[in-house]
Amino acid sequence: MTTIRITFEKCGEAAYISLLDLQRVFHRILKRSGLPVYYTQGFNPHIYLSFACPLSLGQESLCESCEVKTEAENPDLEQWKETLQPYMPRGIVITRVAVAVQKIAEIETAVYRITMPATAAPALEEYNAAPSAVVVKKTKRGQKELELKTYLPQIAYTVVPEGVAFDLKLPCGTGEALNLNPSLLLGYLQQNHNIPPWECRVLRTGLYTKTGEEFC
Amino acid sequence: MPELSTKLRQALSQVQKPGRYTGGEPGSTYKDKEKVDVRMAFCFPDTYEVGMSFLGEKILYELLNRHENWWCERAFMPWTDMKQQMEQLGIPLYCLESKDPLRDFDIVGFTLEYELCYTNILAMLDLSGIPLRAADRDERWPLIIAGGPCVCNAEPMADFFDVMQLGEGEQMLQDICATVETSKKQGWNRQRLLEELAKIPGVYIPSFYNVTYKEDGRIEAVTPNRPGVPARVTKAIVKDMDSFVPPENFVVPMVGAIQDRASVEVLRGCVRGCRFCQAGQIYRPFRERSPQLISESARVLCHNTGYDELSLTSLSTSDHSRLEEILDRLNSWAEADHVSLSLPSLRVDNFSQSMVEKTTKVRKSGLTFAAEAGTQRLRDVINKNVTWEEIERGCNIAFSEGYTSVKLYFMMGLPTETMEDIKGIADTAQKVVDLYYANKNHAKGKGVQVTISVACFVPKPDTPFQFCAQDRREQLREKQRYLLSCVHSKKIKVNYHDSATSVLEGVFAKGDRRLGRVIETAYRHGAFFDTWEEYFDYDRWLEAFRECGIDPDFYNYREIGLDEVTPWDHLDVGVTHAHLVREYQKALRAETTQPCNRQCSGCGANKLLGGPCFDYHSDHV
Repeated sequence: MTTIRITFEKCGEAAYISLLDLQRVFHRILKRSGLPVYYTQGFNPHIYLSFACPLSLGQESLCESCEVKTEAENPDLEQWKETLQPYMPRGIVITRVAVAVQKIAEIETAVYRITMPATAAPALEEYNAAPSAVVVKKTKRGQKELELKTYLPQIAYTVVPEGVAFDLKLPCGTGEALNLNPSLLLGYLQQNHNIPPWECRVLRTGLYTKTGEEFC
Repeated sequence: MPELSTKLRQALSQVQKPGRYTGGEPGSTYKDKEKVDVRMAFCFPDTYEVGMSFLGEKILYELLNRHENWWCERAFMPWTDMKQQMEQLGIPLYCLESKDPLRDFDIVGFTLEYELCYTNILAMLDLSGIPLRAADRDERWPLIIAGGPCVCNAEPMADFFDVMQLGEGEQMLQDICATVETSKKQGWNRQRLLEELAKIPGVYIPSFYNVTYKEDGRIEAVTPNRPGVPARVTKAIVKDMDSFVPPENFVVPMVGAIQDRASVEVLRGCVRGCRFCQAGQIYRPFRERSPQLISESARVLCHNTGYDELSLTSLSTSDHSRLEEILDRLNSWAEADHVSLSLPSLRVDNFSQSMVEKTTKVRKSGLTFAAEAGTQRLRDVINKNVTWEEIERGCNIAFSEGYTSVKLYFMMGLPTETMEDIKGIADTAQKVVDLYYANKNHAKGKGVQVTISVACFVPKPDTPFQFCAQDRREQLREKQRYLLSCVHSKKIKVNYHDSATSVLEGVFAKGDRRLGRVIETAYRHGAFFDTWEEYFDYDRWLEAFRECGIDPDFYNYREIGLDEVTPWDHLDVGVTHAHLVREYQKALRAETTQPCNRQCSGCGANKLLGGPCFDYHSDHV
């Protein structure tokens, strides 16, 4: 059995497809494709599907992925890509279909490209100057306070045509490991500096493993 | 792909299930708006989840979009949180595909599925910044049109629409789009366009008719106010169900729709002639689609959408004369394609062993039977030709096949109904429970669950019971209480709902043009989503009636004389007035009428076909 990773972009309208809905979409598209994907062996067989570190609703990504399995030997993965793409929702563009190299559990960090209106620049300066920036993070066991500055001491932004932009590297662990969402920073800036989060764009650009390699 | 505006992104960040407002679903159609001649916004006046379950839209969306130079898009009623965001941020209602506001379209079409959706139509027009009344719109505004079953009595909504379509839209809507295309190219004004549209079979232009009233409030006459307009508009139909291919592509919703499966329409119309049923009359004559076309297009549909469930839809699927052949054809590929079959509308009287086997190969679900009335006498009155013996036989087959839950549908408030008939509902359910335990082959170690679902009967236009008055709320409440007192088993669950919505349904079903003001007033006072219990406010409606000086009781609590001019007399659905009177009188004598595939009852709908509906000499049934 081989694990196949389907890597795709999720931008524009597709940013509003929830994980639950995305699972159903992929299930249907894989089913209709007739590709030799592995079905779980049970009373009610369904396609084995596993999404890596799914995004929050409204955020965009260049590097989403899901795993399927196949018992086929030497599958033509370029053909898989061509078969699947025409039936994808708008905004989902498959960039790569390949044999999985790493396991999802090896993902450690994610990098996001954040774009904000130019008016956010003073707020970012204030953030950089502040000794502390405490946010409340919701977890499965309730709320807990978290010092953003531990993970994000400085924001080095640049001026771009749309306003200002910067890259954000945040822990993106699976399971019990720490996972920080860029919305924590956006929430902090909204609460303390009135920066409307809907005027900010969050684009995930890469996922990296413990050894610093790009997840694939 | 166009960027979502910041405003829209703001709204989407504040609402539940934003995926309902973004479009882009697999199967949706995108065209270059600069290169199309006609743009139509197909609007469903309820939520995305409800609207995306509607087969009519799927049929017409595909038919229109097959024309390269027309683009049909979709719009739904936004849920209250999104509606509020759109109002606050000044986002006009838009179509999901292009995100363009409705007022940019050539045609804005609404489906009139149900009377209580009327306020949502006004809300959607208002959200688009389009004037509500046809009289306030000229050619600078889109042509606002309607279709769907409620057009058979279009009058309460007549003031708001430029064009209403009586009957089936497959040909009619394409003719309307073609005429609009010509109109745009020729630069016609609104009047000229309407005059041309009036020539299309089934098209009703409300502003071309004057209504006069008698002193007592009844209608005196409905007359055309210009030459070249028919005195009666005759319903449009598709004569041959094999003349067009059913949809082979669905827009597949990502946010779960209520009916989220492939479906194929197997027949249109109904042979049964149940006297309470509007659909059974207005969709006549009966027409079947061939097993080969059903099976072939269903297979393509399942393949294109990836659905793993296929439903065979119609008013009464088991009345298809070649149902076994349909099932055999479908079963020849369904299992290999991982598709399971379901038949949503089965009748007890021709429910057979082999049919159960053919439809439950993959999964067993619950079983529903519509008995409609609790005693044989009342079932004869309503011409629901089902006997207890048939229910018994059907249940026994199902129980032996492993079914453990049965849902029985009934109505309350039927003409001539007595408390004896109400008790009969509870007795029927109890007998089904007893049947289960008496059946030695029932599922081992499992109990039975019988659910009685009781709806309030609403007399509808174009049915033999259109002449009847509706039961008052107090009478219905008393009957509901009595029914509960008659149920003595924990295996029986009773479902019923408040009758206030049924009252309004009755008023608008049989209403006339004067009710347009009431609908608008109620809307201005905050009525919308009346189909949703949490937003329905009966008092707000009563207040609107008072404000307009209109007595709602006049419409639903009054018997209509057999010779009275009704608000829908000028809208001809095929079934004649004489037939309705004949059936009404038979009902009062508790006499039944044969299904029309066995014996023609002369309803008149065959004139739409131009010949008899069935070959009675062949061994049809």
